[in-house]
Amino acid sequence: MLLALVLLPIIAGSAMLLLRGEDRRLYRGIGVVVALATLVLAVAARSEDWSAPWLRAPFVANFHLGIGALAFWLIVLLALCTACAVLAVESARPRALVGQLLLLEGTMLGLFISRDLLLFALFYDLMLVPVFFVLLERGEHPRDAWRYIIYNFAGGLLLLFATAAFGVLHGTTDVIGSAGNAISGAWVPWIFWGFAIAFLVKTPAFPLHTWMPNTYASLPPPVAAVVGAVQSKAGLYGFFVIAMTLMPQEIARYSTALIVLGTISLLYGAVAALVQTDAKRVVAYSSLSHLGLIVIAIATQQPLALAGAALYIVAHGLFTAALFIGLGYVEEREETRSLARLRGIGANNPRLAGALTIAGLAMLGLPGLAGFVGELVIITGIVQSGNVAVAVVAVISVVLASAYVLRLFQGIVNGPVAHDLPVRRDLTWREGIAIAPLLLALLYLGVNPHAVLASGSVAIPRAPQSSAAGVTTP
Amino acid sequence: MTLPFTHVDWAAVAPLEVLAATGLLVLLFDLVWRPFAPRGLSLSVAFLGTILTAALIAQQYGTNVAAFNGGYIVGNFSVLFGEVVLLGTLGALALMGRGGSDRESAGTIALLLWSACGALLLAAAATTMTIFLGIELLSLALYCLCGLANRKSAREAALKYLLLSSTASAVLLFGMALLFGASGSVSLAALASPAMVTNPLFWMGSGFFLVGIAFKLSLVPFHAWAPDVYQGAPLPIAAFMTVVTKAATIAIFARFAYAALPAGASQMLLLPVWAIAGISMIVGNVGMLAQHDLKRLLGYSGIAQVGYILAALAGTTRLGLRYAFFYLVVYAVMNLGAFAVAAVLSSGDDEEGTQIQSYRGLGARRPLLAAAMTFFLLALAGLPPTAGFLGKILILAVAAGTGYLWLAALLLVGTAISLYAYAKIILAMYRPDHRVHAADIPRGAPLPWVSLALCLVATVALTFYPLLPSGLLPLVK
Repeated sequence: MLLALVLLPIIAGSAMLLLRGEDRRLYRGIGVVVALATLVLAVAARSEDWSAPWLRAPFVANFHLGIGALAFWLIVLLALCTACAVLAVESARPRALVGQLLLLEGTMLGLFISRDLLLFALFYDLMLVPVFFVLLERGEHPRDAWRYIIYNFAGGLLLLFATAAFGVLHGTTDVIGSAGNAISGAWVPWIFWGFAIAFLVKTPAFPLHTWMPNTYASLPPPVAAVVGAVQSKAGLYGFFVIAMTLMPQEIARYSTALIVLGTISLLYGAVAALVQTDAKRVVAYSSLSHLGLIVIAIATQQPLALAGAALYIVAHGLFTAALFIGLGYVEEREETRSLARLRGIGANNPRLAGALTIAGLAMLGLPGLAGFVGELVIITGIVQSGNVAVAVVAVISVVLASAYVLRLFQGIVNGPVAHDLPVRRDLTWREGIAIAPLLLALLYLGVNPHAVLASGSVAIPRAPQSSAAGVTTP
Repeated sequence: MTLPFTHVDWAAVAPLEVLAATGLLVLLFDLVWRPFAPRGLSLSVAFLGTILTAALIAQQYGTNVAAFNGGYIVGNFSVLFGEVVLLGTLGALALMGRGGSDRESAGTIALLLWSACGALLLAAAATTMTIFLGIELLSLALYCLCGLANRKSAREAALKYLLLSSTASAVLLFGMALLFGASGSVSLAALASPAMVTNPLFWMGSGFFLVGIAFKLSLVPFHAWAPDVYQGAPLPIAAFMTVVTKAATIAIFARFAYAALPAGASQMLLLPVWAIAGISMIVGNVGMLAQHDLKRLLGYSGIAQVGYILAALAGTTRLGLRYAFFYLVVYAVMNLGAFAVAAVLSSGDDEEGTQIQSYRGLGARRPLLAAAMTFFLLALAGLPPTAGFLGKILILAVAAGTGYLWLAALLLVGTAISLYAYAKIILAMYRPDHRVHAADIPRGAPLPWVSLALCLVATVALTFYPLLPSGLLPLVK
């Protein structure tokens, strides 16, 4: 069943690329069914474990699949985002786009259920390919495709090298999600940084983020939603299941460096988001800022911060996807996404304005929505770990977040109607259904965060199980 | 006069005899039946003969025979490298079925087969005499084949290859002479004695020998001929040279490096080779960036790929040899696949499929073909799920395991550069381009399509079922 989970979207996506015809309803329908089927399969296969031999020398590698605690929530997020993104596809050539979305889902599913480092590395590179092709064919400029693939492939190569070195040193790469595989020795810092740099490129974190704003702005909104919401989590997931469990000493040793990088990302992203005039870039830079906070949480290794990070990973995915999809609707209606031109959408499109507002408030950290709980738990954890100064910076960035979110929505939603822009009808049922599940999930996790909170601590063997209980107090 | 060789010797070289006879048969059939059956007949005979040869060689797997007084050693090593040679030959023959040029007639096919005989000889050669014999047999036929096309660049290629390759042969021969002076024997086994370490003739001879090999492998700084020659040569010949010549030369190099060097001297003597292999990875990949001709581009790519293969051999471990062989096979199928796409696109004499310009907008006009080309290019760059990915990680593992971290680092840098070069073609194929008029692209002959499909399947299958032969050991007697 686990194998089917990976192969179903990949086969469906490839088949779609080879088919003909551009029937929008048909392809959207198939895409949504496949994405929801993966969701069902993931829930059904949650406790399964599947393995087949691959290599015996120079190290043991297996096709080993299994769903970890954190991976499960990422898969749910991925399947949900893909279903919503497919439903939101609005293109004259929808077939290839839906196909690429399914391929993207399949390769990322493979990444999240890999229990073997080599398999992880395989999917880590493979998931670049669909995005690269979408950028090539539909991006705003070929340069964006270049930046994306060169940056991420270079990161992937480092990951590959670190994997090879790990395998040679440890004798096996079949180590994800099983205890007792921590390595030590003179080589380990190199291996650690190989992994860490690859993950920081993918997340991204300052100073390796420069591919990200262009990519997100250039991608069609549905693909930007999946890439911004889930693909960016591949690096953070890697920190959880690889860096943290296999090299615990190194992550403690270099935690200062990671905290500094995270803090710079946090502040720089927030400040940059304040001055962007492209609505998608505001979300892109805000993503840099929020993910910086998660990098800090991981670097502190404080159980509470880690639990918060797990929740915030999911919450960030939800509101980022909702925002990209929502901004896609705006761009489609107004034919621009420049904050200098957009005004007063709320007057004619109240449903769209409402959806954008909920997503924006989640990003800003409004209590009652998932973003708030995540941020709060992370910052509490950072304070508990003794990094009070970092916690102060994090709080400042939360204030800055309010500023850029309000600037974004003040600009787009409120104010007098812009008469130089076209007036189009409000969200259709389909468009509404494509964004509603994400908003409902945000609300649900905002009032009931326990399920996901616990999963962050399960991934780290060292953290006592009670940390999940301690979380309920804030 | 009696020959000093027995039937055991002749049985060992039976595959070569069959292949050489196939060449003659091709010529004979052409002579008799030419008016009735054109090239199809010659090609069928050549295919049958090559496959028969491959079967005969496969039967030798597991045996260990030193024929011709240790000059020709049949073992798993020679069998496996021999099969790669025949794989490359079959791939080149398939490309000959692309239609168009009448120049690639029976004579061409016969020359190609005889050239492959030389390569097979090299896979098993274990004395300097047989090595030289093999190299000359391989090269002589290629001198003619390079100049076949009716282009100025073809004549240039043939002359350049003749001059430079002869020079390389001369250097190689000089090295062999010095080695003979040092050991008093043509056998490579005689070089492995510890007494050689203090013999200056041995060091000089080995140096010249390795320079000659580096030339044939087109390693930097002896690489400049390769892209020019590939550009001028007809498509099938260029494919043949990138696969077969490299496989055969790597076989001799591996035998020399693994079995023929005294323990004390081997690492020091080979260090310059690893160094130029590392430089080749960078220079080859950077060289690709500025190319407008696919054959030139693949020529530069080949320079880098040989660097990767040699990186696996660095440290001369048995594991490394297995991975070098694996990557060689992977390189062969990826490369033949890319050539097959070009062959499908080239119907006429001017080989329009080798112009990168003609790939513009291919994604919209011929989606399948564009997808196949993309696949092979990404495989050459080492992206999953292709065997190029697995091959790279195995090489990285062995380089890290033997302590050649700088080679691993150069491999990473080179690969990152190479992706840019390969992706430029992908960009040309998929970027919507309104300047391109939907010119009629011919359907393409069936044979290149078959070759393309087989290469594609092999490239994926090798990722999930990596063939890593365990009994791969170069022997000298």
